[in-house]
Amino acid sequence: MKLLIVEDQPKTGHYLRQGLAEAGFNTELVADGNTGQQLALSGEYALLILDVMLPGRDGWQILQAVRNAGLDTPVLFLTARDAVEDRVHGLELGADDYLVKPFAFSELLARVRSLLRRGSASPQETSLQLADLRLDLIRRRVERNGQRIDLTAKEFALLEMLLRRQGEVLPKSLIASQVWDMNFDSDTNVIEVAIRRLRLKIDDEFPNKLIHTVRGMGYVLEERPA
Amino acid sequence: MRRLSLSSRLALLFAACTAVVSLFAGVLFSRASEAHFIELDQQLLDSKLLGLRRALHDLQSSDSQVKLADELSRQADLSLRITGSDGRRWYDSSPQLPDKLPQTPGLSKLNDDGTDYRVLNAPLFADKPDSPQLTLLLDITHHQHFLQRMQHLIWLTVGLSALATALLGAWAARSGLRPLRRISAVASGVSAQSLNARLPEENMPPELAEMAHNFNAMLGRLDDSFQRLSAFSADIAHELRTPLSNLLTHTQVTLTRPRPIEDYREALHSNLEELQWMAQLVNDMLYLAKADHGLLMPKCEPLQLAEEADLLLEFFAPLAEDAQVKLSRDGNARIEGDRSMLRRALSNLLDNALRFTPVEGYVSVSILDQPKGVSVSVQNSGKGISAELLPRLFDRFYRADPARQEGSSEHAGLGLAITQSIIRAHGGQIRCESAEEWTRFVIELPKKD
Repeated sequence: MKLLIVEDQPKTGHYLRQGLAEAGFNTELVADGNTGQQLALSGEYALLILDVMLPGRDGWQILQAVRNAGLDTPVLFLTARDAVEDRVHGLELGADDYLVKPFAFSELLARVRSLLRRGSASPQETSLQLADLRLDLIRRRVERNGQRIDLTAKEFALLEMLLRRQGEVLPKSLIASQVWDMNFDSDTNVIEVAIRRLRLKIDDEFPNKLIHTVRGMGYVLEERPA
Repeated sequence: MRRLSLSSRLALLFAACTAVVSLFAGVLFSRASEAHFIELDQQLLDSKLLGLRRALHDLQSSDSQVKLADELSRQADLSLRITGSDGRRWYDSSPQLPDKLPQTPGLSKLNDDGTDYRVLNAPLFADKPDSPQLTLLLDITHHQHFLQRMQHLIWLTVGLSALATALLGAWAARSGLRPLRRISAVASGVSAQSLNARLPEENMPPELAEMAHNFNAMLGRLDDSFQRLSAFSADIAHELRTPLSNLLTHTQVTLTRPRPIEDYREALHSNLEELQWMAQLVNDMLYLAKADHGLLMPKCEPLQLAEEADLLLEFFAPLAEDAQVKLSRDGNARIEGDRSMLRRALSNLLDNALRFTPVEGYVSVSILDQPKGVSVSVQNSGKGISAELLPRLFDRFYRADPARQEGSSEHAGLGLAITQSIIRAHGGQIRCESAEEWTRFVIELPKKD
């Protein structure tokens, strides 16, 4: 699975590539619009990450060419301008998502994973599991080590998200958007509190902790060697 | 082509008006004098005709020539010709005149060799059809000279008065337009440094007073916006200075000597926190800048406010339970608005309320559906805010609690300003009320039909 990054700012491009590579993605980076479009049209890529302002050919034009060629490769836009027209324009042209600079890398990574997952319909799961934690989606029950745990509806949704995306660092903004449908910048610490309360029920009584805080980036659910 | 100046245009218009008026008066006067001369000539000729008829009442032949000569000698500029009914010329006092004279009865005019004559044709005996014809000729050259002189005079007057009014008009226009030049002088002196210049509105002429007033009002608005912009820029610089200096110091200190890897990790984490705070600040400021430029365009989705409030209360529930604060909501209203913006506005209010509510306190949302509009109030228990601080709450970077020092908290002091911008973009108002035991933010949103 290959990702194409078209970004003309060398520093940004370099760090995007490094970050995505370390997250396990095979990426290619080009700095100008014309080459970017050529590569994008080859259809080899699973996802395009396009900057709007590019030399030669801007991100919108590349997107348009890709869609005109009948390709439905997911496209994530990076833009420095948060103008309403930009947003509307991008969505009209068929962009799948966009991020306004400055953005956090964890946010980008989470969105990339969401977009890549969108294409492949996951089989109908009836339960999710990590180590001795089990979540029954049909009966809406949670057990750990055979012990039943009572969760509120939102706690259940939060844990379901963490389990579905286990191993991924989930930024607070993504959690707020996915679990509570709150799609705005907020400096509230609601998510911290909610995670802490979930931990209290899931992790506190057990020696191997599953919910981890990645400082400055978000939360991850994974089994770590003790 | 360059447009004429206002003063020259006025001066030329004045001159044209004067020229037209004096020309009209001159033409009228010259017509009147000509008519007057004709009347005088008519009277003179009529009286002569009367005298001649009396003198010649028994004229049968040419023997009364002596009488005629005698009669005519008293009037040097008068000539006489008598023609019999058979067409023969009986008498001619001035044979040098042309043979052919105007035959029309009554007065007519004749020009012969540079001399003007008034001609009167009349029968000698008014009651006899075959009476001999009298033709009287009056030399009117001096009248014509007078009329010509007068016409020259009129043209001269027209020309001179037009010139004089043009000059006087130019002067009058210049002095009449002096207030405009004053406005222009003030306007040319306005710059970012001197937005406090104002036009004196009292001694402006009424036509310009309104313009001067609007001009001053414009300067006032500019001044106000500029002041706020300057203050905002200063605030931004101030807000960014603390995290920037933390970043600089921490990074430099970390790099001064080799350290264990854990220290580097710690330094990067600390930097990350500062950077995230700064990114949040920049995003919030961009949002406010967009609102200031009227670029915040709310969508118009039908919303059930109770539903939205309940979702938000559910979102804040963990925080409230932790702080042992009771959350409640009553009332409902339907409204057209932007879901995500209004959620953001309300969430800022709720977040703010929870911050200042003591343990065992409450935060309540009440929605009132009124005929004129919808009001949403968020009230929390706790120590009230003193009245003089209420208007400042919505100022950017204002923090009710000065102990919360800048940079350290995730809260930059822009939340209420953003809420206000969102409510205003929806055409609504927000205010804060406070008493000893509670604080309440009231949002009023208009209803769209």
